[in-house]
Amino acid sequence: MHVGWGHVALAGAWGALVSLERRAFLQAMFSRPLVAATGMGLLLGQLQTGLYLGMILELFYLGTASLGAALPENDTLAASGTTAAAAMMASQTGGGGTPAIWSLSLLLFAGLGLLGRAVDHKVEAHAAVLSAHGLELAEHGELERAVRQNLWGIWPYAVVYFVLNAACAGLGLWIGSFLADLPLVALRGLAWAFPAMASVAAATAAQGSHARNAALWAVVGGALMTGGTLVLAWVQG
Amino acid sequence: MIAPGTHLPRSVKVRVFLRSLLLQASWNPRGMQNLGLVYALYPALEGLYPDPQARRAAVQRHLTFFNTHPYVAAAIVGGVLYHEERIAAGEEDARRVTEFKSALMGPLAALGDGFFWLSLRPAAGAFCAALVPFLGAWAAVLFLVLYNVVHLTLRAQLFRMGLQLGDRLVEAVARARLPSRGARLRAVAAASAGAAAAYLAFAFGAQQGGVGGWLMAGGCLALGALSYVLVARKVPTAALTVLAALLAGCLGAWL
Repeated sequence: MHVGWGHVALAGAWGALVSLERRAFLQAMFSRPLVAATGMGLLLGQLQTGLYLGMILELFYLGTASLGAALPENDTLAASGTTAAAAMMASQTGGGGTPAIWSLSLLLFAGLGLLGRAVDHKVEAHAAVLSAHGLELAEHGELERAVRQNLWGIWPYAVVYFVLNAACAGLGLWIGSFLADLPLVALRGLAWAFPAMASVAAATAAQGSHARNAALWAVVGGALMTGGTLVLAWVQG
Repeated sequence: MIAPGTHLPRSVKVRVFLRSLLLQASWNPRGMQNLGLVYALYPALEGLYPDPQARRAAVQRHLTFFNTHPYVAAAIVGGVLYHEERIAAGEEDARRVTEFKSALMGPLAALGDGFFWLSLRPAAGAFCAALVPFLGAWAAVLFLVLYNVVHLTLRAQLFRMGLQLGDRLVEAVARARLPSRGARLRAVAAASAGAAAAYLAFAFGAQQGGVGGWLMAGGCLALGALSYVLVARKVPTAALTVLAALLAGCLGAWL
């Protein structure tokens, strides 16, 4: 599959859109890792990569929430940026996504959640200036302009997250060109790392569910799935 | 313009509701959702207060600190319209609407956080994440449908309750029994996370095949259980993830 600047721009646009939805508009959960990563994968022609990264990151960030004025890690940027990079790596290698590529991108890009939180802090500081300006305008009777300050808060999100997601896609494209040189033993190790990280993500999710007797419920869910899988394997011989 | 003493037309109420979807566009540490609230209310304030001085006073009283859960804010926005209609008609003092907001934003925020952020979202997210191997991209669509059927229905209902009931909306919200429903949803989230862990362990084990496959599947399940205990003991999840990746990576490279 040919990848180029169009894909980088597409990654930036989708990343900006879901970041806006996360904070500024609607909050219908298009910004959750499961949706943001799946959408990114679909747009960049690597649906499976988006799905599996979305699944892991959804579990990883299941219990995080913006409560009151507290600012959690930016799960949306972690999902969209990691998937953009992984999808570009996969496309660059000429094949589909593999657990080794997903692991590598998770290890290299999952720290984006912290970067996103730092960015959110900066954008909030800018919004505080808008709020003060709105108060001033209202004082002088310029009510329409005072009210419209609310909309000016949207643009920094769109611009910053467009740039960050496009940068992740660009980096993925660049890293992808070195993947062919990785020794087989490293690729096998990375492939094993993916289900291990998924196990940690699922444990984090069970903890983050805030359920009473969360461990018991997780064991029940795990036992049901294990039983179902074993029965299916037995039936299929 | 709407003549004083009359009720706001439906089209204005719909506009206010739609604009309230941008409540957090300029969330800031000082006034928090103040700009978003005024932005949402402005079409109504414009209609209720033809006099520029009165309108300015109305805008200023809503530019003060305001923060609550963005969904349940719909109830407060509706309730503010209920009070502003009466203030504009001279039936109420302007302080009533400020007291209404101050009294409700804290408790409703706690209710919204507990139900939407800490119950419905984790339950829908974990359930649909566990379905990814079976439904593919439809799992993400199912997540959006499951979540938003509840979210958008409640958001619209809360707005209507605020508009019709004013201060009495508290009793109506209490009747919805959101906290007890939230507890059940949290159990669904935990069970789904366990199911997802088990599926991934077996799926990747089967992909590996042979003794290595069984080792991978068993190792992943054991790692999940150990991680659960360590996360409960406040071990940072990022460090845990990297350690798990390193351990599995070394095993995979040598086997």
